[in-house]
Order: sequence, then structure tokens, then C-alpha cells
Amino acid sequence: MPINLNHNLHQFQLKNGLRVMLKEIHTAPVTSTWIWYGIGSRNELPGKTGLSHWVEHMQFKGTRKYTGEDIDNLVSRVGGYANAFTSSDWTTYFETMPSAHLHATLELEADRMVNSLFDPEEVETERTVILSEREGSENYPEFRLDEAVQLHSFQSHPYRNEVLGSKEDLIGITRDDLYQHYRNYYQPANAILCIAGDISPHTVLEEVENLFGGIQSVPMNRSIPIPEKTLNHGDLVEMEGPGEANYLEIAWRCPAASDPDFFAYTIIESLLSGPSSLNMFGSGSINNRTSRLYQALVEEDYAASVFGDLSANIDPGVYKVFATIQPDGNPGAALKIIDEQIHQITSSELSIREIERAIKQARALFAYSSENITNQGFWMGYASSFADYQWVAEYLTRLSSVTPRQVLKTAQKYLREDQRVVGVYRASNTQEGS
Amino acid sequence: MNNSMPDSSTILRETWNNGTTLLAYPNLTSPAVYFTGYMQPGSIADPDEMHGLASFTTDMLMTGTKHLNFQQLHDKIESIGASLSLSTGHLSTTFFGQCLREDLETIWSLLVEVIQEPAFTEKQFKRVRNQILTGIAIQNQDTAEMASQAFNRALYGSHPYAHPEIGYAQTVSGIRLEQLESFHANHYGPNGLVMAVCGGIEPEVAREIFSRTLGTWQNNTQSPPETLPPFTPPASSIRSHVALEGKNQSDLIIGVPAPKTVSRDYQVCSIGNSILGQYGMMGRIGKVVREKAGLAYEVSSHLGAGIGPTAWTIVAGVNPDNLEKAIALLKQELVRFCSEPVTEQELQDVKTQAMGRLPLSLETNAGIASILVSIERYGYSLDHLHQLPSIIESITAEEILASARRYWDLDKLVIASAGKALE
Repeated sequence: MPINLNHNLHQFQLKNGLRVMLKEIHTAPVTSTWIWYGIGSRNELPGKTGLSHWVEHMQFKGTRKYTGEDIDNLVSRVGGYANAFTSSDWTTYFETMPSAHLHATLELEADRMVNSLFDPEEVETERTVILSEREGSENYPEFRLDEAVQLHSFQSHPYRNEVLGSKEDLIGITRDDLYQHYRNYYQPANAILCIAGDISPHTVLEEVENLFGGIQSVPMNRSIPIPEKTLNHGDLVEMEGPGEANYLEIAWRCPAASDPDFFAYTIIESLLSGPSSLNMFGSGSINNRTSRLYQALVEEDYAASVFGDLSANIDPGVYKVFATIQPDGNPGAALKIIDEQIHQITSSELSIREIERAIKQARALFAYSSENITNQGFWMGYASSFADYQWVAEYLTRLSSVTPRQVLKTAQKYLREDQRVVGVYRASNTQEGS
Repeated sequence: MNNSMPDSSTILRETWNNGTTLLAYPNLTSPAVYFTGYMQPGSIADPDEMHGLASFTTDMLMTGTKHLNFQQLHDKIESIGASLSLSTGHLSTTFFGQCLREDLETIWSLLVEVIQEPAFTEKQFKRVRNQILTGIAIQNQDTAEMASQAFNRALYGSHPYAHPEIGYAQTVSGIRLEQLESFHANHYGPNGLVMAVCGGIEPEVAREIFSRTLGTWQNNTQSPPETLPPFTPPASSIRSHVALEGKNQSDLIIGVPAPKTVSRDYQVCSIGNSILGQYGMMGRIGKVVREKAGLAYEVSSHLGAGIGPTAWTIVAGVNPDNLEKAIALLKQELVRFCSEPVTEQELQDVKTQAMGRLPLSLETNAGIASILVSIERYGYSLDHLHQLPSIIESITAEEILASARRYWDLDKLVIASAGKALE
């Protein structure tokens, strides 16, 4: 069954620049409302890393109209669920609710677009909460290794920074820094409002006009980094710490999501490390046990597990491969095996069957997530934040048009030994071979 | 998906002569199908010196069959974008599968082959053992996992639930291939197997596929279900800490035995638990520990569900320097929870949340299949979802207070943590 994501899609733009995307889905009495702001760690300046994520936390602390508790109650009382996420390119807030309560979520989002208080006491409390969030992540060697590899993958582009921010910056950021960031970036012209579910588009658009139409957009002072299209050097990051297992991570440059090469890269990822899902809400996944790296590393006992991650970003980002190496294993030997697999994929064309298989996998992943109205809301804003909705609507068609020749050229262009970062975490209490 | 709830008029439920039960519910607008279920072997069948045996056996199932090697098996699954997995808990082994609807017969047949005819090769045995040992090594450095294991040891004492299903490095290292084969032969069988399917397929078509592949399965050597030994809760408070080097955050669990899952008490405590540590930004404890004191990013309460004994817990991740402060704040909240009724507003909020969440839990095939499995596991009526609102509505603040006092005995708390060594 073909999946037509443009079916029942309605798009508008208000005079103040707010983009509105509405998708009618009448399979359940549920709506999912998402508001996306074009601000993430990509736009942060040195010394102020973590601002976007911290602002996201403060958006749950209250406005003049709603206390933090009111915000919780508005969603929870009716059985809905809500959350927010900050990435390198965007910050987003969503509420999935029984459809009768859509108006209340729109009122909240319109209000906190401009009226959040950033109470100084709340700012201080949240500082320790975010430091705690960071400390929880730091408990894992994988996080520490990934943070170091990411830092070495860019010379100055903010993609090098952890979205949570550095500990030093989190200690130094002030209430004024946060409020200024909020007032600068939270405005209609920098936002996309996406609603999927049991709605009547014209009625909803009228409500949106009433609630958001009066909010003025003002000139935005946006820091736009210079894209780093290549990794200029082959770095090695070595770490050691407590633990028993070892970890290996390799990062190669990948193109921006809007780059035509991205779709060929998606095929490469699927083949090398297994297919990734575009879903935010775990509506299904596919294992990677037949991927080339699993077969070469895990089946041959060089690693206990391996997976990959290709990020869809505004600017060129990284494709990462992570391998967990057994306590008595050797990260160097695993790296050699990965090199052999990279050599194969950069020296000969794939078969048509391998491409067809990647497409079938992508089709299945779309089918699983199309059940979920929250995912449908997510897709609209997600794709629009780095390209446009057609990126996701035409995803399967564009994958289908990739040729073995394009895959080979893309692999040769990006998967280069002199343009990658290798990270190794050695556990201090293992008995590694060499 | 239609907007009505699954009930006795729409759920197909059938038990076959070999002891297998099928539940099926249609969602004909979906291009996909999800199935899940459980069968008898669980880790409580592990002999003392072989903790991890049941889980190891399950891990071996997906490494190949008598007809398909590892590569062929996984190629069949992954090349059509499907997934299939199994995992072992204390009482049973669960399975999950998802595929496009045209592939249901292929994937279901593979699951049946995997369960009935695993290959148990020496090569895969060594590989899986290494993977399990690596998993255990990673867990041994994970503060959340170590706090959880310390909590279970303290709460369950000599009961089998004190042990992790995956086992320990020492016990897993000693397990031999023939012991896995023997465990499989003696425990896997149709008796007690429950499967639930939901998605773009008519229930009658699902029944035809499932009964053709499983309806005639017999295993005369299948052991009867293991009997759970009695559980004796701790007679006094226990404090346990696992010291782990180089950790910036400590994980904390405070808990007590929970009520039986199939009981009025459980429904009452479930509403109380939501007020304590779930509702909004993690309930009352979220307000106190996260919102006011800023001590933790993660703090919440959980009411365990299961056939055997379970726990009612509070979990938190805190800076090691704030560990004792967090424990003191959480104890204060427990004192309040056990000494005064929840407010009418709190009660009303949580009740409307529980009612409103019901349709959202039916949004996906996986959500529905999971509810069908719970209905069967706990012996609920097929009309359980219709009955639930009136049960929730009838719960009072006085009942919650009485239950809180009954279960949160503050003189018998189990407190476990893992992280930087205590001073």
C-alpha cells in the first residue's frame, strides 16, 4: 500500500511569518500539536553553550497567565502527554491530547511564545537540574567518548558542542543570557506550528489566526555558522576510564539533509550499520544483524555490538559508527575490520537487490510509524526544520531513484580514512590483547 | 483504527487443545501488523548455580534453526523490514514481532521455527556467551542497574526474584551448550503460550495462520509451570550502597513490596502512585525534589505489575553530594503521603488523566496488542477496558491513604543506591 503523506495536508503562512501545517487524520479522537523554533545549539556562541536547551526547560516554568503547575495540569488532567526536545538545529514542544482540548494547547503555545517569565529563582533551580541531567549522561563512557569525538569532528562549527552545554558554560550562564536568547528566537517568523489528527482545518486555522496573528515578529539577531563540508584531518581521540568494556566510535562527514547525496548516504548507512528510523516515538525498528559491519565485527567476535547513526541536519554533520568491544577485545583490530568494510563499499558498486532491500526497510518503518498521530505531527516540523515537508513526503521515491553508481560515488566522497575521527575508550580494568 | 474500544464483541479469543491461547483484534486501516505474547520458561526455572540459563537459552533461539543459519534467518527478517525478538523475564519469555501485513505469515512462521527448532551450534554458543558476558560487564558499571540489583537483593532476599534474569558472570561462564538444549527441550512448549495480534488483518485470517503453525504443536517433555516460592518481605529497613568509581551521578531506589496486581488495592495504589510520582512533572516528589530543590533531573515513582511479588518504588538520579538530602526529602514526602489524604483536586486530576489516557494507549497496534496480553495474563474480562472507568471513578482519597499506610511501612523501607562511595 503506498503511503501518501501529502494526503489531507494543508499549509498556510500568517502575515507575521508563522508557518502553519495541518494534517487531517480522523482515525482516533486525538490531536498532536507541535511548535518548532529554528533555534538549537547550532546558533549558540562560544561560552554560551546549552542556552537553547535551558530555555526549553524554562518554557515549563510559567508565564503571567499560566504557572508551571497550570502547564502540567493543562495536559495531564485530560490524559494527554507533552514534552519538548532541543537538538543542534531546532527546539520543539508538543502536546498529544484528546482532540476536544486542542484549543487549550494552542492558547498555551501562543502565550509562551512571548510571555514566559524566566523567574530568577526558577533559573537557579533549573541550573542544578540541568547539571544533574548532564551528570547522569556523564556516567556512561559512551556519552563521554561521543562528546569528545563530536568536538574533534568540527573545527569551529557549533555542531562540535554537546546540546546540553558544557559544565563550565552551564555554571556561567545568567538569567539575562537566557531571556535574551528566548526573546530573540521565539517569535512567529522563526516558528512552524504543526497539528496532526482529528481536526477541521478551516476551524483550526481561524483559531490559530486569533491566537498567534497578533504576535509581532521583530528582526532577529541570528548567529549562522559557516558549514564545514569536509573533515580536514584524521584525528584520533583516546580516553581511559573505569569500566570493563571498551568502546570504538568513528565519525565521518555526512552531507546536509537537503543535499542530494544524503539519500545515497542513507542507503550506505542501511547497508553498513543497519537502517535508521526517522521516528521520534519508537513505532518500530529493524535489527541490523545482516548489515555488513555486524556481520564482520559481531559475527566474527571483534565486537559485542555495533550500530550507526546518520544525522539529518541543516549543515553537513557526521555519520557515526559505535562498537562495543568485549572486555578482552581489541579496539584496534575492530577498526581494521571496519576499514576493510569501508574499502569494499568504496571500491565496488552495490547490487540493485541491496538497494531494493534498503527501500523495503524504509517503507516498513514508515508504515509502522504512520499508525501514530504523534509521529505524523513530528514529521511535518522535523523535515521542515532542515529542508521542507516534501523531503519526508518524497523520501521513499528519492531513495528509489538512487543508483549503485551514486552510492559508490557518495561513499568515495565521504568515507575517507584521512577525513574521519576515531575515538577509543579503553576501560582501565580490562585485559585487552594489545 | 476505529474509535471504539476492544471488547468481547470485537476481540477474537480462542484456546486450543494444546494449551495455546490466541487473541486478535483488527485495525484494518493499518498496513502493518504487530504481535506479542509470552510462554512458559522464565528465569525462576534457573538452578541456583546456573542463574542466567533461561535467558541464555532464549538468546540462542535467534541465532539459527535446523533449516536456517544465522545469516539466512536474519536476512529473511530484515530484508522485508520486519522485526522479531524474544526476551526472558522471571516468570515467562516474551516475544514481539512487527511486519507489513503481507508478510505476517512469513514472520510468524519464522518465530515458530525459531521456538521449535533452534540449532544450538557451538559457534553461536560461544558468541552469545561472550555477548552476555560483555553485557554483564557493562551493567556492572551502570549505576541505575547496580542500584536496581542491590534493591532486588535486599527486598527479595532468598526469593528467586532477587537475581537478575541475565545471571552473573560466574554462573553464565559455567553454563554448557547441552544444558541450554536440555532446558529448551524441557521447558518450551505450547502449554501456557499466549499470543496477541493487532493490525491490518482480519482476526479470522490471523487465526488460520496461527493455528496452522502452532495449533498442532505438542511437547510431551514440557515441564509444568514453575511454582513461585512464598515471598517474605524484609522485617526492618535495609540500606544498601554499591560503590562505583568515576561516576558523576548516583542512582537511588526507595521501595516496599507492592500489592498484588489483580486486586482492588492495586487499582487504588495505582491512582495514589500517580499522585506521588507520575502526574505532570513527576507528581509530588517531582515538585519537591526537582522543581523546588533542583536536586534531580530524574525522579519518579513506579508501581510494579506482575504475577509474582513486585515492588512500589521511587527512583532518582542525583549528584553524589546530594544523595542523603534527596533521601531525606523523599522520606518527608512519604510521611505526608501516609499521614493525610490526597486532596480532592489531586484525586480528580489523576482520575481524569487515567480516563483520558485510555484512548491514547489504543493509538497503535503495539499498544492494543500489549493490552490484550495483559487481559489474558491477569485473567481480566475481555470487557476490562469498559469496566476500568467505573473502577477508577470509585476510588476515594480515604482508600488511597489506607493503602499508602498499608504498603509504605516507613520502618521497613528498602533503600538502595549506586555511585561514588559513601563517606
